[in-house]
Amino acid sequence: MPDSKLILQKTINNIHPLSEEDFECFYALLKPFSAKRKEVLTLAGTEEKYLYFVIEGLQRMYYLDEQNREATLLFTYWGNFGGVLDSMMNHKPSKFYYETLSPSSFLRASFQQVESLAKNNYEIELLLRKGLIGAFSGVLERLVEIQCFSSEEKYKQLLKRSPHILQIVPHKYLANYIGIDASNFSKLVNSVKM
Amino acid sequence: MNFVVKNKNINHKIMETTNKTILLNHLENQVESHLQQAIHQYQNLRDEVLLKSSNTGGWSISECLVHLNLYGNYYLPLFENGIKNSPENTNANTIKSSWLGRKSVETMNPETGKKKYKAFKTYIPETHLDAKATVAEFINQQERMLQILQMARIKDIQPIKIPISIAKFLKLNLGDALRFLIVHNERHIQQANRNL
Repeated sequence: MPDSKLILQKTINNIHPLSEEDFECFYALLKPFSAKRKEVLTLAGTEEKYLYFVIEGLQRMYYLDEQNREATLLFTYWGNFGGVLDSMMNHKPSKFYYETLSPSSFLRASFQQVESLAKNNYEIELLLRKGLIGAFSGVLERLVEIQCFSSEEKYKQLLKRSPHILQIVPHKYLANYIGIDASNFSKLVNSVKM
Repeated sequence: MNFVVKNKNINHKIMETTNKTILLNHLENQVESHLQQAIHQYQNLRDEVLLKSSNTGGWSISECLVHLNLYGNYYLPLFENGIKNSPENTNANTIKSSWLGRKSVETMNPETGKKKYKAFKTYIPETHLDAKATVAEFINQQERMLQILQMARIKDIQPIKIPISIAKFLKLNLGDALRFLIVHNERHIQQANRNL
């Protein structure tokens, strides 16, 4: 089994284990896809057409305001599902951008096909629901972080989740995610030893 | 996760006419390798390391990057505007090089241009540097470079002319100017790395 199929199976097992037959039905919808650094996969204002599964690289979802300021909402990387999930599922234009921050490779499925499969297969529908709940929990945790954590605590949390992230992505995106400017972020890097 | 990009430093004589896709792929690979170096290494080095002069009294890593950023400040807006004002044309598949373009690139290429140059006065870094900000700016510029190269794929870039910074009455074709800036980056990145 190729590595990408294995990691997909492992991820799915952690959400809602599927029978071999159901897994193969789902897997058949996924096609390999790759993108270069700083490629926009989903434009704000357009509907998210794909469910992504990340094999390689780092990506982010961000919001752009009227003054062209960016708010990095989350990162996706190896073993994560990606794409603007709310737009994908409610078929409304995305409020956010989804872009690569490094050369990336994925498996991706047209969500239209996933929905058709889910209509006739309850296990797939369950997988989607449970996956969505997991994503929702993650968002609530992030809300706590944003409201209650200091910059230092947010920084430590980020490094706990991905210890090598400082060597993988330009620091400005991490600073943006934490909500501080680049020079304050540099101070954190210098002062906090993990 | 594997981010290794093979940096194929094409060490051939620059042809008068080149396939555009091959050139842009090569340039993209170079920029990507510079970016990866900056992201993986430079932005994580302590200020003291970034600011330390070379063993022979030459430029520190920061000074090399400031120098590159100064060039980028001049050339990138010209590239971006040139490309923005160009119509889309996916049929333009070849790029022509001028004699001046080829010469500029050859002299700047660390593989072929072995002569040492003293940088023009405007491009010699000042003494007080914010090391981290310098690396961040370098990273920003390389990301812009990648986006320029992406746009160049779908436009006819042959008509776009770029005045040379040190002699604005002389113009390079955009293709040559891109090669020039990127090989100039390569030259000073190699210089910066001798400090490590």
